Amino acid sequence: MFFQSGGEDDVSDADAINELSPVAPPATKKRNRTRSIGVLVVLLLAIVALLSQGILHSLNYFETVDQVLAKRASFGTETMRLEGVVKSGSIVRTSTGASFYVTGSKGEVFVKSNGTPPQLFQDNIPVVVVGHFTTKTSMNFAGSQIMVKHTASYIEKNPNRVKAPNGSVR
Amino acid sequence: MMKQLSQRLFGPLTLILMGVNLVLGLWVVPPDKVQGELARLVYIHPSVAWVALYVSFGTAAISSALYLWKRTRSVVMDRVAHCAMEVSVVFIALTLITGSIWGRPAWGVWWAWDARLTSSAILGVLALGYLALRRANDETELRARRSAVFAVLVAINVPIIHFSVQWWKTLHQGATVFTSNRTLLIHGIQAWTLLISFIAFTMLFFWLLRYRYRLEVLRENLAGASLEEALSARRREGTQS
Repeated sequence: MFFQSGGEDDVSDADAINELSPVAPPATKKRNRTRSIGVLVVLLLAIVALLSQGILHSLNYFETVDQVLAKRASFGTETMRLEGVVKSGSIVRTSTGASFYVTGSKGEVFVKSNGTPPQLFQDNIPVVVVGHFTTKTSMNFAGSQIMVKHTASYIEKNPNRVKAPNGSVR
Repeated sequence: MMKQLSQRLFGPLTLILMGVNLVLGLWVVPPDKVQGELARLVYIHPSVAWVALYVSFGTAAISSALYLWKRTRSVVMDRVAHCAMEVSVVFIALTLITGSIWGRPAWGVWWAWDARLTSSAILGVLALGYLALRRANDETELRARRSAVFAVLVAINVPIIHFSVQWWKTLHQGATVFTSNRTLLIHGIQAWTLLISFIAFTMLFFWLLRYRYRLEVLRENLAGASLEEALSARRREGTQS
């Protein structure tokens, strides 16, 4: 071998040419392992950060009106996300936001919310309201944010316009 | 001959389908009864998410599994997994961006830490982690093996994302197409346009994957040529001294 020989003089030119195969740098495996562990640690930290923000704190993003009505006392006045369907005809727009009823199958809750409601906010649409009950026994909910939880169904707004007998679009 | 022709037509056909999807989605399909014009994003966001989650991440995970299986182990599988994961990162980013653009007017917020969105964000981090892991390993075989094991393990997040809207209460809507009772919740021209968008974006993925793969082969050849050149230079030095 090149490095085991007595000296450079012992090695002929022909040998030198034949011994030019690439030599792996020393400690490559160790470097690779250290880098891989580093990547995995950073990755783990990032995932833990995301999980702590998301799934661990709100695996279930909201409580439904029915769940809240069934265990009203346990919610007290703590901040929560309340989900229900906006009762038809109950929306009253105010200068600071809107008031309305959200319904479940077993009852309803009155909501008075501050802030501009989203574009899709309307009667009979499912919403998630961030807020809290005004007192420990009250059924009035003070909201600070309204989010619309639209359904997975899609229906054409004016189906007759594209299904006119003569095929025209009107 | 036929193979060459189909390869040549694949790109233009993809672009044509993308164009058809754009025209149908933006102008021809009527607005939605509840969401109005906002629903036009249904012809982009779900199909981009489909590619990100199932097609590209799935391709990377399956190629990785095939690499780990001795009978099918080859550098081709490693390359496909690597390239598919790179394209996957782009589609995951597009999924999060288009979802956010849709979420702001529809939900009222850009982002919500619900199970679907959080698990999707985690998928993005995992895909980036895969690419970082590849960069962390110099040795070809070791890199291929480690990244393949990683890709197969983290693929568990895909079914978690898929079922998140069933397992937990989320702000994100439930499934429209892949519903638990196999009932379509979209019909008529809306459904056909959605189908075209799924096909168009799937074809776009395979088109991008093909070119990314070719780029990877060229890069490897160039690296090999550089090594050969360096060795030749050393040989010349050796003979001259």
